[in-house]
Amino acid sequence: MPNIAVFIEQRDGEAKKVAWQMINHARKITDASGGEVWGVFLGKDAGNNAADAGSWGAHKLFTAIDENLAGYNSELYTTAVASFCSANNPDLVLMGATAMGKDLAPRLAARMDCACVSDSIDVNFDNGFTIRRPVFAGKCYTDVNIKSNTAVVGIRPNSFNLDQPGSDSATAETFDPGIGGVTPKATVAEVKATSGGAIELTEADVIVSGGRGIKEADNYKMIEELAGVLNAGTGASRAIVDAGWVDHSHQVGQTGKTVSPNLYIACGISGAIQHLAGMSSSKCIVAINKDSNAPIFKAATYGIVADLFDVVPALKEAIQSLD
Amino acid sequence: MKIAVCVKQVPDSETRINLAEPSAELDRSGFTRVLNPYDAYAVEEAIQIKEKLGDDTEVTAIIIGGEQVMESVKKDCLAVGCDKAIRVTDELDNAEALQIAKVLTAVVKRDGYDLVLCGKQAIDDDDSQVGIMLAELCDMAHVSVVTDLEFDGNNFTATREIEGGSEVVKGATPALFTCQKGLNEPRLPSLPNIMKAGMKPVELLTCADLGIEVPAAHTEITTYIPPAKRGECKIIENEDPAAAAQELAKLLREEAKII
Ligand SMILES: Cc1cc2nc3c(=O)[nH]c(=O)nc-3n(C[C@H](O)[C@H](O)[C@H](O)COP(=O)(O)OP(=O)(O)OC[C@H]3O[C@@H](n4cnc5c(N)ncnc54)[C@H](O)[C@@H]3O)c2cc1C
Ligand SMILES: Nc1ncnc2c1ncn2[C@@H]1O[C@H](COP(=O)(O)O)[C@@H](O)[C@H]1O
Repeated sequence: MPNIAVFIEQRDGEAKKVAWQMINHARKITDASGGEVWGVFLGKDAGNNAADAGSWGAHKLFTAIDENLAGYNSELYTTAVASFCSANNPDLVLMGATAMGKDLAPRLAARMDCACVSDSIDVNFDNGFTIRRPVFAGKCYTDVNIKSNTAVVGIRPNSFNLDQPGSDSATAETFDPGIGGVTPKATVAEVKATSGGAIELTEADVIVSGGRGIKEADNYKMIEELAGVLNAGTGASRAIVDAGWVDHSHQVGQTGKTVSPNLYIACGISGAIQHLAGMSSSKCIVAINKDSNAPIFKAATYGIVADLFDVVPALKEAIQSLD
Repeated sequence: MKIAVCVKQVPDSETRINLAEPSAELDRSGFTRVLNPYDAYAVEEAIQIKEKLGDDTEVTAIIIGGEQVMESVKKDCLAVGCDKAIRVTDELDNAEALQIAKVLTAVVKRDGYDLVLCGKQAIDDDDSQVGIMLAELCDMAHVSVVTDLEFDGNNFTATREIEGGSEVVKGATPALFTCQKGLNEPRLPSLPNIMKAGMKPVELLTCADLGIEVPAAHTEITTYIPPAKRGECKIIENEDPAAAAQELAKLLREEAKII
């Protein structure tokens, strides 16, 4: 009868989609094996989260509302979630493998002296939890068994599908985050947005990426225009990031971002092993490359062997003219 | 200032994993081993801080691993400017992050470092855990995934990458940072310095020397699984790029059902 707590990450009060994906998946486990799904929300007001968490399958929503929890602070958030855990003893704590979750999970697990499993893609329960996760940048996967009483597990966004929301609402409860006497040793002084409105790659449903095949910095516009009609994020190979054509925040691969969109369109990218490492778990991969021997075609679902300067603008038009 | 840099040796990023079917073991014998690329940013940052602050700053590279890790320690740590190294010799090669963090904690507490630098992630286990856990166990401030780091006396301002932007974090030493690409450009060792690195001190330690037991694991990897095989790529054969593009759009809509 596992009780599964899901940390609901919010920025500026808005919950991340990955939280609902985790709640939805956790509910399938508790429906089969018993136990409850608990949303855990830290922030300065609870907003609609009890209704939202409930509609995705949470039995209860536990909130700690405090001005000091409005934005992320690693030490305060660790204390708050640890306080929740010691009061409620969840068998598993799930959080998104996001910038925030990746920072919070290890600190929390070290404080609770329990298992910590990062960047996972599946959670199964059968006489205990088994967590599946990629290692070696996705060249191999591992199944991990948990031996401690509780475990903190990071879940890669988009690993779980979202079913249709139901009409239930979670029972709202509050908890004491225990941050009264805590003065954090480091604080976030400022949050800067680099690119107004740009779609974050790790959360994107569709990504269009460009590589050295685009020939010069200016031609990245073509990638952006195709992305525009698909409401997609824009990615890049390391070659064009190192050349200074686009910012590092766009780099996909072993030393860039790991992405798993529904659709990844690689334009003028050869498909080096380090690039594949970051995107090979995408559900559908399209390769546009003039070299039919480029390794990217081994990873691709669909391929066009042609000059990208012809294909990319044509694809944009073809997509626009779909009704 | 006393600076520690925690480093790991990992299979290089070209490594291919040969695994035909799910298996309880992973054959790691043929791997070429290198310094974890993110740890190179940590080493470089430590050396740059030492260059700025002067000679009473000491940089120690700390590594838990077998004898074979010394090659990376010499070439990529000592030869580029670390003053000395500590190697913990207990067999912890495929240990989980919290075990590693507990052992590193014993070293950091024994020596009392003002600043600890780690890589943001080891590219074999891809955990991104050890540094942050170490900060927690040492009761230090930490900032992870750092792309910019400035000091004003004991006060730091660090910039870290988040989705769609960055966070600027302020605090004071003692503190730990996990380093991300963009922080600096790691220098390469010169041949004479590689020769001289052999003369720099290396302290060998065991958990027993540190007064701790070898920490136990909370997790167990039961199976290594090869990635699911992808089907053949469907090549759209059409001389006319516009027609090929239209065909692709149609397949994405009707067959793949994703747009
Ligand atoms: C430690 C390490 C980490 C790395 N990390 C990463 C990483 O995170 N991400 C990453 O991407 N790389 C990474 N790399 C680099 C990687 O090895 C490759 O060098 C890089 O991915 C190549 O980028 P590219 O495909 O854009 O360029 P290239 O390999 O030069 O490929 C360009 C492709 O464009 C095609 N092309 C050219 N002109 C046209 C045209 N007109 N129309 C259609 N196609 C055309 C060519 O056929 C070719 O296949 C890493 C390397 C190392 C050593
Ligand atoms: N065996 C080790 N010895 C010393 N430092 C390590 C070791 N393993 C990991 N680290 C440090 O922790 C960072 C993150 O590792 P990981 O949590 O495994 O992704 C690495 O970049 C190193 O700085």
